[in-house]
Amino acid sequence: MSKKILLMGNPNVGKSIFFTELTGIHAISSNFAGTTVDYLEGRLQIGDEAYTLIDVPGTYSLNTTSEAEEVAARFMENGAAAVICVLDASNLERNLRLALELQHYNIPTVYALNLVDVAERHGVEVNDKVLAGELGAPVVRTIAVKKQGLDELIEQLETILASEGDPAACGGCAGCPSRSDNQGDVWERAREINRRVSKKHVPNLSWLDRLGVAMMRPMPGLPIAALVMALTIGVVMGGGRVLRALVLLPLVNDIIVPFFRNLFTAFLPERMFLNILIGEFGVFVISFEWILALIFPYVLFFYVAFTFLEDTGYLPRLSVLFDNVMRKLGVQGGSLLHMAMGYGCAVPAILGSRAATSQKERIVITTAICFAIPCISQLGALISLLGGRAWWMMPAMMLFSLALFVIVTLIAGKLVKGKVDPLLIEVPNLLVPNPKAYGRKLLTRMRHFLKDAEGPMLIAIVIAAVFSESGLLAMLATAAQPLVSGWLGMPAEAVSALILGIVRREMSVVPLLALDLTTLQVFIGGVVSLMYLPCLSVFAILAKEFKVRIAVTIAASTIVLALFVGGVINQVARLFV
Amino acid sequence: MGISSANLYEMKSEGILQVTSVPDISLLDNLGLRAGTQVMILIRYKLGGPVLLRVEGAYSVALGKDIAQQISVQEVSPA
Repeated sequence: MSKKILLMGNPNVGKSIFFTELTGIHAISSNFAGTTVDYLEGRLQIGDEAYTLIDVPGTYSLNTTSEAEEVAARFMENGAAAVICVLDASNLERNLRLALELQHYNIPTVYALNLVDVAERHGVEVNDKVLAGELGAPVVRTIAVKKQGLDELIEQLETILASEGDPAACGGCAGCPSRSDNQGDVWERAREINRRVSKKHVPNLSWLDRLGVAMMRPMPGLPIAALVMALTIGVVMGGGRVLRALVLLPLVNDIIVPFFRNLFTAFLPERMFLNILIGEFGVFVISFEWILALIFPYVLFFYVAFTFLEDTGYLPRLSVLFDNVMRKLGVQGGSLLHMAMGYGCAVPAILGSRAATSQKERIVITTAICFAIPCISQLGALISLLGGRAWWMMPAMMLFSLALFVIVTLIAGKLVKGKVDPLLIEVPNLLVPNPKAYGRKLLTRMRHFLKDAEGPMLIAIVIAAVFSESGLLAMLATAAQPLVSGWLGMPAEAVSALILGIVRREMSVVPLLALDLTTLQVFIGGVVSLMYLPCLSVFAILAKEFKVRIAVTIAASTIVLALFVGGVINQVARLFV
Repeated sequence: MGISSANLYEMKSEGILQVTSVPDISLLDNLGLRAGTQVMILIRYKLGGPVLLRVEGAYSVALGKDIAQQISVQEVSPA
């Protein structure tokens, strides 16, 4: 493996933009052994030599009190040819603290003094010459989003890499950790250096800075939050629908499926096999119809909207705005971030909840995600099921889901023992996302979706095809008749939704699309699907992340409650209809 | 009355405050909130909500009620 160059810095200083600009898009997401903290590696050519640039998770320090800090510290301990340390000029003191900690590892370092434009607006001017003297290493002024200073950064990197191991390079510089006057408290030294290199003048805040603060005041923050949510729903439902109707359905129905039908009919004369492959529930029909035309458009537009909100720095503002409400529910505002993630997919959301500071909060977040928060794949299917029926069904389901969320969170908060830590987060500046970094993230997410969803979906589809073609489905439908028809009031064939729903969440909805249902049956199908066990991948994550008892409790109670509530709605509705 | 001091949650001042003591939470230290740090209260939320601070005039940190109550501050200059 080529020599490593580490890209280090505080969270949110624009490290990933450096990474994207320096390596191109040739990045692979990796996992540090034993953790789930992702880091990226890419190729960086300097002069004649190719290096591996590693985007180390952003950290405030190397104290190893969090997973990200542990990973960062381990990278430094393992050594590297050089470090690029990105400093936020608008927030220098805290960034310098990490910079000083990094110096203890004696790895040649170049400092990128980034966000100098933001610092300027906030009324801070940093003298990079003086700073270079204090740190005893080159400091380059950069505005990474505008690609400014990157060439000089590479030049400086080339210089320090060339002088590596050269004893003359050590001149006992002012910032060198080996000097006795540099052994004190890092915070004190960071403050001292910052005082020497920064000059403050009157800030000249941009409209974005003002909007960033205004969004957090209850007025106009709450109306803005409502607007943002409405817009998000509009983008996902509208965009998904248009893409599905105008592009994907014609593509699948007129091109892809006929292609495979012709292909297989030419080679396979045998009827049952042919039906399994390209019959009504055939693998090659259903997998394109369901994954590509039904689920994919909604997943795409969800991540278009979600990634945008994430990259602007809007989401933490929601956490602050709704902290008091979440506190009343027994958790804190920070939980909202993980729960919002759950609308994409429960698996990364549950993994992400590791960042929650208490076990109780994690369990409550996970319970809410499993019970009340549909993932976007499932939502895509629900939109098709409910939206085609009556205009009020989708809003009714959203209200039901919201009520369920409040009740489940409240109950879980009461049942789970322990304490939830109060909110404590840095609120980043509001900014316009960098198109390249945004595009890369969106692409990665879509790739993950296709990779992670495809396998289980195909399994479910194969099961569905074999079941329906072999007559097993009819047998199961008869066996489950009392539950499915008697209690839930659904047609007996709906049993396939309950079986397939265990494999993939949207599969608890999709089989219902082919049935001729009444409005009440559609609503009950939606309710059961919403509350039902998320999917096999979620169960696997639950089992891995929590004690078996907790995983089984959550999984079993979702199934029991889903069937119970669905049945009660049916029985009560029967009294009136 | 000249200089007033209180816990951060109850401090009514709009001016610059100096932190005098903090609970021992490593994330607080990481975020630069320690004795001697200068902060300003940007927004106070009702109904048990958090306090939004501008720290050293450079960045914003939101602190839940229960942490804010454990941080003592004193007024440096009135708004």
